[in-house]
Amino acid sequence: MEKLGVGIGWRPEIDLTVERLPGIDFVEVVAENLHVGHLPESVLLLRERGVPVLPHAVSLSLGGAEPVDAQRVAHLGALAEALDAPLVSDHVCFVRAGGLDSGHLMPLPRTRDALDVLVANVKATQQDLPVPLALENVAALLDWPDGELTEGQFLAELVDRTDCHLLVDVANLYANARNLGTDVARFLDEIPLERLAYVHVAGGEEHQGVYHDTHAHAVRPEVLDVLAQLRARVDPPGVLLERDDDYPADAELADELAAIRAVLG
Amino acid sequence: MTGPQRDRLAAAQAELLRALLADGDVPEGFDAERVRIERRALLNKRRGIVEMLRPEVAVELGDRFRPLFDAYAKEHPKEVGTRFREDAARFAEWATARGELQPPRRRRWWRRAT
Repeated sequence: MEKLGVGIGWRPEIDLTVERLPGIDFVEVVAENLHVGHLPESVLLLRERGVPVLPHAVSLSLGGAEPVDAQRVAHLGALAEALDAPLVSDHVCFVRAGGLDSGHLMPLPRTRDALDVLVANVKATQQDLPVPLALENVAALLDWPDGELTEGQFLAELVDRTDCHLLVDVANLYANARNLGTDVARFLDEIPLERLAYVHVAGGEEHQGVYHDTHAHAVRPEVLDVLAQLRARVDPPGVLLERDDDYPADAELADELAAIRAVLG
Repeated sequence: MTGPQRDRLAAAQAELLRALLADGDVPEGFDAERVRIERRALLNKRRGIVEMLRPEVAVELGDRFRPLFDAYAKEHPKEVGTRFREDAARFAEWATARGELQPPRRRRWWRRAT
């Protein structure tokens, strides 16, 4: 995979912060929030500086039972071309079912049925995208019954059957370890790390014994420890900090990026 | 072909979303407490987005915003194709129809009467 370095999620609320933070090697934009015809000035400025801008989608619902909406894929592809992005990403999840929209990234049942449907949807999506697709593990508050595979096995088979890349979110992995009992070491051993595109790091909070992946709180040391466990196995091509709400001072984000760099060594 | 798998997955995912968004029963095999926590997390997220999009509605309702929005959300689970701005507008209309919000003024002072 192409070397990306250390980055941060570009959001309109922190556009100036992202522009002036030192050592930002790449950024990610939420694909659904941008229009190809009128990209934000700040995003265009970053592109002019040569900073890679990676579209990250949240609404393809690749693990949903319905075939993927071609318009959403077309938008993602057009955005990748407008930004000259090396790859795009979405999640291993579903967001819509039975006419309802969860408004969030819902975990999939780890069954053969779900994997078959996900693989078919991912293959169809890849055919319509101009660049490679990376898929991200999500954070779950609840687990489906009757899982036939571990999360690591599920992702490994997904990669094997679709040749997609992986976007490993270490905060989501931590959340699943806390909330569902996922074995972090086993997860990292089972996934094909040679297909790792980059890594997400984010903050969260604990509430009544459950860890919530809020992207609105500081990154916990335990999440950096998961990053260290990943780093012990592979030098990730990129690591990106996500912050989506309750934006702190620039210095605080700079400190979090410095903490990430320290783990990467 | 993935037809049978899709049908089974569709039924299971729809049942879970009904439980989480539309006050449906907890599907068999799920931890009821975790379903309750997820239900609240999704509701908090939806309410937060509406508050961000229509802060004046939340301000006018004050302490009533949260219980009213939660009652609205249970009656009106967010349907596929509904944008968050539409969701926020529908909540404001719903609250207005119940007499909780002042109806929007039809004419602004700077507009010429026609």
